[in-house]
Amino acid sequence: MGGQACVFYGAAEFSRDTDLAILADSANLAKLKNAVEDLQAVVIAVPPFEAKYLRKGHAVHFRCHHPEASGMRIDVMSKMRGVDSFAKLWTRRTTLSMDDRHIDLMSLPDLVQAKKTQRDKDWPMLRRLIEVNYFAHRENPKQEQIRFWFLELRTPDLLIELATAHGPIPVHLRRKRQLLELAATGNKSLLERALREEEQKERESDQKYWAPLKKELEKLRHARVSLAKH
Amino acid sequence: MISPEELVGEEWAAWYRLSPVERWRESEKLWNVYFHLGGSLDSQPDTQSPFFDPSSPSTRPANGRPGMRILRRSRV
Repeated sequence: MGGQACVFYGAAEFSRDTDLAILADSANLAKLKNAVEDLQAVVIAVPPFEAKYLRKGHAVHFRCHHPEASGMRIDVMSKMRGVDSFAKLWTRRTTLSMDDRHIDLMSLPDLVQAKKTQRDKDWPMLRRLIEVNYFAHRENPKQEQIRFWFLELRTPDLLIELATAHGPIPVHLRRKRQLLELAATGNKSLLERALREEEQKERESDQKYWAPLKKELEKLRHARVSLAKH
Repeated sequence: MISPEELVGEEWAAWYRLSPVERWRESEKLWNVYFHLGGSLDSQPDTQSPFFDPSSPSTRPANGRPGMRILRRSRV
């Protein structure tokens, strides 16, 4: 679900870590444990590798020591802000077949939700991910693609083009994303401003979502330090 | 219709036009170059990430990537 998925869908990220979204049940965690052992990966930082932390929304971080993946970091998550349950993600996944390997990636709409974070680097990525999808399918789009673009495009020119080609914009979409009114009227400068405000709101929501989790991480860090001192 | 070139320039437009598998392959080539130049898989700390822990151990030496160091730089 991280940089590798972004490359597949069209953005470009030179990400050195690997981000995995997993189902945090005991059978699956046992499989993951075997996989990380194969990679000679150890948990770094907090929290520990326990289902309860994954279910709360924490990420568990590993660093690999296998000679072929030395230093590589793996981040594992099971629950993300604004993203559906793992069961739903799994039914919508993209499966890539390459060199007799199968790789399951989070679907583009789910990846877009997962990338709405407080970090600067995720927002240009988001914009590109949706642009690529729009350019690839705009000449013969399905209704669900048009809906996706109306709700997620972050490029003013393309939002205006979309509104021109597929207007009038349905009321339920306008209610869900009020800046679509500006796309319908073709007001680019106001639309740019509204997109920036939308981004800021999402970043703040992400910070609020993480506030209690960060507090918990702090406690775990203090506990770890105290344990190391004794 | 707005073309990808108008919006993002030639280089990005060429990347956009690749199929997902082609992008994956191109990315693999970049990785090979990166490793050939001595690049490491040890990621840089992401200070904006909610997971960021300044006390977290890293295999990275304090002065940069293993096997790579600055030999000359401008004064700026």
